[in-house]
Amino acid sequence: MFKSLAGRALVPVGIAVTGFVVVCFLLLYSAIKNIVDRDSAVNATNLADTVLKSTRYAMLKNDYEILTTVISNVGQQKGVEHIRIFNKKGIINISTHPEELNRQVDKTAEGCIICHAGKDPVTTLGKMEQVRIFKNGRGEETISITTPIYNEPECSNAACHVHPAGQKVLGTLDIGLSRKSLLDSLASIRNQMVAFTLMILLLTVGGVTALLIRSVFQPLQKLSRLAQQAETDELPATPPSHFPRELDTIAQSLYNLNQKLRSARKDAETSGKNLDTPQ
Amino acid sequence: MTETSDKQPAPGAGTGPSQRDNLLEELRSDIKRLTTLSNRGLWAMSLFALVSMMAWRDFPLLPLPDSVTAALGAPPSPSMISLVLLLYTFSAIILSLSRMMAGIEHKSSFCHVGYLTGFFLFYHFAKALHDNYWAVFGAGITILSVESYRIWSYCREALVRKNEQLEFAKKHGRLPPEEQ
Repeated sequence: MFKSLAGRALVPVGIAVTGFVVVCFLLLYSAIKNIVDRDSAVNATNLADTVLKSTRYAMLKNDYEILTTVISNVGQQKGVEHIRIFNKKGIINISTHPEELNRQVDKTAEGCIICHAGKDPVTTLGKMEQVRIFKNGRGEETISITTPIYNEPECSNAACHVHPAGQKVLGTLDIGLSRKSLLDSLASIRNQMVAFTLMILLLTVGGVTALLIRSVFQPLQKLSRLAQQAETDELPATPPSHFPRELDTIAQSLYNLNQKLRSARKDAETSGKNLDTPQ
Repeated sequence: MTETSDKQPAPGAGTGPSQRDNLLEELRSDIKRLTTLSNRGLWAMSLFALVSMMAWRDFPLLPLPDSVTAALGAPPSPSMISLVLLLYTFSAIILSLSRMMAGIEHKSSFCHVGYLTGFFLFYHFAKALHDNYWAVFGAGITILSVESYRIWSYCREALVRKNEQLEFAKKHGRLPPEEQ
């Protein structure tokens, strides 16, 4: 394979083009995945803010019924895995899953251990750092955002219920969104990109191979046959044609040389000399 | 033609036995050097495979990214590293193909392993190695394959030529006329 002209010409080009296209595909997919992940995190953060703003008035009024109704309605939205509000001690006060109510949050669960891995839990997180991606109990990938509910002057001054002014955080809102549709979209993008990459590779490598075979290797084989015919003095009577320009010069020279050899041989035959035996 | 050359010494012929031995020794050492050089690409590939295995395990022997970034400052963004990786892959392939075309002997395989290790480390410290591991691995395999092929084909051609020269030198005590 490596001894033939075709192998020598096509192997490095094939490796280089295939490798470069694959690297481009991998980098492009990674970039798309990052953008999609960042957008989904922004969407989850916006949803958490929306829930907090929608429930703020009910919290101020300590209206448990409106609070649970709002949370329940938002929780019924497609793709929402869970919404829960737990107090500072980690007891779940409101949840879209009733069986979780009044239970202690499992700090060793995959979504919680990220902040609770150390002796002291992480208390200050940036907007993007509040977002966690983990697999839930059913093995489905979930994006979750935890937003602290801060104590505001309206809360500590309200007559209805008591929150000391010194208490910084009243509780935590935890929202989990399913990443199934997102992963399905990414898989679809990936499959399309794989198909496009394969088609580009096939067109590029196949196109280069076809052109080289048609324009270089086949004329070379024809020239090689012509040389063999010249060696055995079986060249056709008409000059060779249909060669690319560079090979045409060689073919014409070969033909002319053969013609000169023929006429020299004829002359020698008439004068009784033999050209084939060395002098 | 050969017989004529033997009877009429060409330039460089008529050398003494010590010069003949020196020439043979020189050719043999060239053949040995080229044989060793032809495997250089495979050694570089093996070293890259070793580095890739370490990268796959998140460089267990290195300090954690947080401690390194605390000491050295924030790493470049993953998108910036990806852009540089793309440019580097493109340039390295073009350079290798150009050297192949010009028939230049250049032993550059191991420096590529160094550059690729650098990309692994940058992604590691930017905490983006998981997403970009296969891109660096693919770039490495491509560049090192093209480089290995270039070095191997160069050495193969040179070895054929040197062996012919050696055979000629053994018979005639000098290099073929076209090599002089």
